[in-house]
Amino acid sequence: MPESITRDEILEVYPKVSETIADALGRDVEEVTLAAPLMQQLDAESIDFLDIVYRLERQFKVKIPRGKIVEDARGALSEAEFERNGYVTETGLKQLRDHLSEVSAERFASPLKVRDIPALFTVETFCKLVVRAQKQNPKSQAG
Amino acid sequence: MAFLLVDRITEIKPGTRARGGFTLPEDLPDPSPCLVAEAIGQLAAWVAMAKAEFRSRPIAGITGEAMFKEGVAPGTTFDLEVALESCEDDSILYDGWAYVGETPIIELRRCVGPMLPMEEFDDPEAVRRRFALLCGTDRPVTGFFGDAALIPRLDIIDHDSAKRLRAAVRVPTSAAFFADHFPRKPVFPGTLILDAKVRLAARLASEALDASRHSLITPTRLCKVKFRSFVYPGQMLEIEAEVVETNGFSAEITVTAEVGGQRVASARVEAGAREAS
Repeated sequence: MPESITRDEILEVYPKVSETIADALGRDVEEVTLAAPLMQQLDAESIDFLDIVYRLERQFKVKIPRGKIVEDARGALSEAEFERNGYVTETGLKQLRDHLSEVSAERFASPLKVRDIPALFTVETFCKLVVRAQKQNPKSQAG
Repeated sequence: MAFLLVDRITEIKPGTRARGGFTLPEDLPDPSPCLVAEAIGQLAAWVAMAKAEFRSRPIAGITGEAMFKEGVAPGTTFDLEVALESCEDDSILYDGWAYVGETPIIELRRCVGPMLPMEEFDDPEAVRRRFALLCGTDRPVTGFFGDAALIPRLDIIDHDSAKRLRAAVRVPTSAAFFADHFPRKPVFPGTLILDAKVRLAARLASEALDASRHSLITPTRLCKVKFRSFVYPGQMLEIEAEVVETNGFSAEITVTAEVGGQRVASARVEAGAREAS
């Protein structure tokens, strides 16, 4: 079960996360606010997410398992409980809202296609990804 | 065989690194350095595919930086080297080099390639056999030859001298390279899209730098190279180049490519004077 993440933990990593995302997307760092959805507001695409994860791994000296955000979002639910025919189930949607607590409720479409989940991600989502990775790799916080 | 550029693999550690070779065809006039970069990318793909046991393959995604240190000539043989910093189920991250002798001619940094199921693109067993052939040979196994379709025809559609240039490129409906790229999913190679963008950028840079004062304006560095979606046979590419800045000796140009108003690729090109050899 992942630990809860505090606001202080998010704010501690935010400066380097925002610089990393700004560099990857060719944006000014001032645009990369915590609440900014990467696809809708910063013109990110799925290929950029791959690049951003690699950059964050290098910047924070952590290892981020691939597909981690969606896997963590699913939590204890099985795949069958989380999605059906490419759509997130009602149970899965509740789980997703809880996990992506940084995403405002109105952005969760219903029905929600599984492939549209990355469109929900904000800068804060990636901050939380880094904090979780740091907690799983305690040595990385010394660097 | 028409778009298999790596003609031998001399060393390989699946998922990690490899060395190999590539020779530009003698009968390809005005070859692009992008083709040499493609060869580097294809060697990286072999490293990833070998680790994945040919169940998946990488496609072009992002190139953080490409350095073109010299021009390239027909008939030149390159020694290729790649090092994969990461080789995951969903993507790879690598650097690569093409040497002539001890001199690095092309250098690629921070290349990201998404991994996709092999079955969508090719027969896994055919790819495995090709790999065995490339690793087991002591002579080059040629899989690439000169073809007019490799040189993009840029039809200028808008021109703001020394500032902006827009051109159309018709993707051929059939070409020899589609047979290899890819057998089950013919798509216009990202390298050829990039080459069209680079050529347009070099043309614009020549205007911006007043080429009469320099011997040759060529691309020297690319960055933020991104491929967003596949381009299919018969589609019309619209490419736009725009000057970002110049300093009298080099120009920085941003280039985008669209199909039907949707962006499919982008890059930033630095071009400057190079003494003609």
